[in-house]
Amino acid sequence: MSKQETLYQAINQLRASIPELRGAIVASSDGLAIAHSLSNGEDPNRVAAMAATALGLGKRISESLNAGSLTETSVSGTNAQIYLYAAGQKGVLAIVAPAGANIGLIHMEARETAKAVASIL
Amino acid sequence: MNPLYDPIASFGTGPKPLKLVVAGPVGAGKTSFVRSLSETEVVGTDELATEDIGKTFTTVAMDFGTLVLDGQPIFLFGTPGQDRFDFMWEVLCEGALGLVLLVAGDKPSEFSQARRILEFITSRISVPFIVGVTRQDLPKVWSSEDVAEYFGLPTAQVVSLNATRSTSSIFTLIHLLELVGAYQLSESFVSSDAGLAEPQNGFGQQ
Repeated sequence: MSKQETLYQAINQLRASIPELRGAIVASSDGLAIAHSLSNGEDPNRVAAMAATALGLGKRISESLNAGSLTETSVSGTNAQIYLYAAGQKGVLAIVAPAGANIGLIHMEARETAKAVASIL
Repeated sequence: MNPLYDPIASFGTGPKPLKLVVAGPVGAGKTSFVRSLSETEVVGTDELATEDIGKTFTTVAMDFGTLVLDGQPIFLFGTPGQDRFDFMWEVLCEGALGLVLLVAGDKPSEFSQARRILEFITSRISVPFIVGVTRQDLPKVWSSEDVAEYFGLPTAQVVSLNATRSTSSIFTLIHLLELVGAYQLSESFVSSDAGLAEPQNGFGQQ
């Protein structure tokens, strides 16, 4: 199976285990979309770039405040929450969850997916 | 003169820091420029580049550095170069009082991209700017006069520099500050005549 197929398998599996997710995307740490599954027609290239920016800034904040290497960061709005997980040095996994979603379950599943993505990349 | 500016200690007392933005295409020397000028540790966001862009790392969020020039504290914000990060150009240019647009003098193929970035920013914010032609240490490189002609700008608005050398970067900054000073004078003059003042477009309009 090709790398891309494996990546799609990983994010499709994540979306299947948490059906309320509005989207999931894997991007390179320099902001290029690699695999995506976005429900509301968002531009994956734009989302990928924003995910890389947020993660890049988060990494720097984490280092500056002696919090160690960044594992994840999030953006919360009134309608949805976006979680961004570092997937090794080269990638980022971003997911969009509606407000009120089961965050515990999301973290459990998405952290596993991020690990899988890191090993694929 | 104390070279280190402490924004907390000088809050409400000294001159307000001047926000300047450094923009331009990938590999123009924006990160080098901020690093060569900053008197404080630069906040950078370098990530491994996965595309072939002629270097290993690329900026994904911003570079931030500070310095004091003639008693004037300056906050320098460097942008990412790739189009996909254009939202950061908007974010970083909000409230900017001056812009340095850098372009690599040995890569004329990127001049049109530099012009697009310049138009993107200046169409959203009315800001005085200079164009800096970098990599002047290389043998085959465009001069500032030629680049001024390409951009259709007065030669006084285009300078040559080597962004990795601080003396060269400082000279560029001084040049911009002269323009900013002249611009602010003309703005206060023009603002008394509503008919002449250029409308300032707000951000957030796509």
